[in-house]
Amino acid sequence: MKNKLLTAALFILLFSCSKSTSEPNPGNENPGTFDKSAMLINYADNVIIPSYHQLQENVNALVAAVNAFADHPSLEAQNAALIAFSQSYVRYEYVEAFNFGPAGTAQLDYYLNFSGGFDYSFTEDGVLAGYTVDSISIENNIATGNYDLTTYNRNNFYSQGFPALNYLLFGPNAIEKFGNNAASRAKYLKDVAHRMKELVDKVVTDWSTYRGSFVANTKSDVGSPIGNMVNMLAYQMDMMKGPRIGWPFGKQSNGIVFASKSEGYFAGIGSQLARANIRSLKNVYLGGSGSKGISAYLVSLKKETLNTDVLAQFDIVIAKLDAIPDPLSESFTSDANKVEDAYKEIQKLLTLLKTDVSSALGVQISFMDNDGD
Amino acid sequence: MYHLRLAYRFHSWIMTEINKPVSIVPLVRFRIVFGLLMFVSLVRFWTRDWIDTVYIKPSFHFSYSGFEWIKPLGNPGMYILFIFVIVAALFIALGFFYRIAAVVFFLGFTYIELIDVTTYLNHYYFISLVAFLMIWLPANRKLSLDVYLKRTTKLEAVPAWTIGIIRFQLAVVYIFAGLAKLNYDWLIEAQPMKTWLPAKSHLPVVGTLMYKEWVAYLFSWFGAVYDLFIVFFLINRRTRLVAYFFVVIFHLATALFFPGIGMFPYVMIASTLIFFPGKNIDDSHVETSVRYPRFVPYALLIYALIQILVPLRFLLYPGHLFWHEEGFRFSWRVMLMEKAGAAYFRVKEKSSGRRFEVSNSEFLTPLQEKMMSTQPDMIVKYAKYLADVYKKRGVKDPAVYAEIYVTLNGERSRLFIDSTVNLAEQKTGWHHYNWVLPYKKTK
Repeated sequence: MKNKLLTAALFILLFSCSKSTSEPNPGNENPGTFDKSAMLINYADNVIIPSYHQLQENVNALVAAVNAFADHPSLEAQNAALIAFSQSYVRYEYVEAFNFGPAGTAQLDYYLNFSGGFDYSFTEDGVLAGYTVDSISIENNIATGNYDLTTYNRNNFYSQGFPALNYLLFGPNAIEKFGNNAASRAKYLKDVAHRMKELVDKVVTDWSTYRGSFVANTKSDVGSPIGNMVNMLAYQMDMMKGPRIGWPFGKQSNGIVFASKSEGYFAGIGSQLARANIRSLKNVYLGGSGSKGISAYLVSLKKETLNTDVLAQFDIVIAKLDAIPDPLSESFTSDANKVEDAYKEIQKLLTLLKTDVSSALGVQISFMDNDGD
Repeated sequence: MYHLRLAYRFHSWIMTEINKPVSIVPLVRFRIVFGLLMFVSLVRFWTRDWIDTVYIKPSFHFSYSGFEWIKPLGNPGMYILFIFVIVAALFIALGFFYRIAAVVFFLGFTYIELIDVTTYLNHYYFISLVAFLMIWLPANRKLSLDVYLKRTTKLEAVPAWTIGIIRFQLAVVYIFAGLAKLNYDWLIEAQPMKTWLPAKSHLPVVGTLMYKEWVAYLFSWFGAVYDLFIVFFLINRRTRLVAYFFVVIFHLATALFFPGIGMFPYVMIASTLIFFPGKNIDDSHVETSVRYPRFVPYALLIYALIQILVPLRFLLYPGHLFWHEEGFRFSWRVMLMEKAGAAYFRVKEKSSGRRFEVSNSEFLTPLQEKMMSTQPDMIVKYAKYLADVYKKRGVKDPAVYAEIYVTLNGERSRLFIDSTVNLAEQKTGWHHYNWVLPYKKTK
């Protein structure tokens, strides 16, 4: 007994006390293992950074279109802006799941596309919740010219980014409102667009330095790249079930629809955004081509069936969302069955990601650090 | 007649053994190490801002049945309570107003732990128990400010039971933790190790081994054997030093592999020092030993019985322990399973049929939601709270239903409870919850 214990202890000692700083193995010569470094490099270089560059390009075009509209508000300029706006917004959906590291620091999700968070219920009108806009604050900012877009509070989140542009470009009487105070209105529009560009530029720049630590950290605990990505997949699905589809659809409110709280309401592109979002999540799950992503990682852990089921469920949700026509805010009422169908499948996918996938990967679904035993 | 005499002999032998004078040194050493560790542990809790996130921010707390009167004290109340407990820990280490400090520490710490079931950790329970025991032990009778300031007299010897009771407590922790591992999943499937270890492949040198199945089996079996037998090797004089070496290595390894378990490894490394005795006491010191009331042996017996019976209460429940978790807490089931769930609650107005889906984040912290999603008693408590909230929001006669999916030890998730049962009407208690669906093994 004693000898066995001693052998085992030496064994563990050998394992645990080696403080050497060995590099994570570069090649993957060990069969039955999975190269997490290669996976993270793939995510950084082939998925995340290119997505941000794409967004950056689109936002540059958006700034130009917004400036053109602000200087000469017309139907023509509005139509041009709608194209640039939709393209940028869709591109933004492709980076939403990377809300950690540089985007987390910049709080890109708050300042670009505030969702209202999960802790405000959709039970009464007038409450700033979901993807709504704070038009009162916006008009007040324009009237007084006294605003600071970097202020950290809900009203300010709802007064900038995509929601604010959505309102200023495509809201009721968007062009007519330039009738008075045109200069201030133009300035505010330009400021909002410029701040979006600034934030995106900053995240793009920061990724070039953050990439190193992202790729080097192959842990799976709270706050690690792998932990963050798995958590964000579940979080974005929760978003889809809540603010993006379920809550404005009336799931929290006995079927009372909150159309104006759906994403991209004035532009009428809510379904398009949801479709982009779910495709981006599938892309994250696969890691692009599929050989070096979370999906492949699961397969290496002998969870082939789970992986197949998750991919199939992604495709079901994609098909269900594709069936919902735009504007989403109208489909909540006119195509309620289709939305209900999609909602059910969204919940199934959320369950798979939040329980089966995270559990199989040893990742805690928690946005909070804590002890456990 | 013969039996009676034997019983009498046994009785007097026990009495002599438990009152035999032994060196006070292990007890004093334990007091100092325990006090300092608690001090560090609580300060760490504070600096991580957990007082705020765990006890101040949440709008709802999962109270323990029978302890509903224990409420968080808000801000600055919680901070003041922590200051009291932190200072008490320091006073225990210093042996300064020791008895009062031990009482304050025990009450304060236990109060904090009783605020919310979702924060339950086995080592917190252990700390509460040890703190309770320390109230009655003469741990300040040497190397303490109380002796230095002549608040009490110095002692070299104490009755053997004052040290034995802490050793007994540690034995309970280890042996029950070991017994808990003797189950199919742990030994035959090497779960949850098989799930957890590949997530540790970032570790230097051993990283790639984490994908190997035999390593998961090694960890599982070694852990079980260690827990079951380490105490016996610590008790035995000849194996003690080697055994303690194992204790240190084992717990440092767990700290390295599972940083999420926080202070637990250090608590065990420090506590097991109690197995090292002091110098032999010669008879000249016996006089200085403290006198304890005659009922002490009986109190010890009752305490020991409770400690042995509480972890065994799970035997009275039907169903799979890990699935139902009836009799799971307070039983030293440490790092035993991987369980996760997703819970979707729905409130229905019975009279009108109006339906409202619940966003858990509106009421619970991520930690609370995570814990609640897999534990039936918390599910009921939350449902009752939701019924209250929605009543205030104008729902006349709210019924609360939940669709909950749970995955256990790497199996696929499945429906956890009967989603047609009005949870707000269910009672929490000692009875078996028959609205939890029976466990079926899935792959």
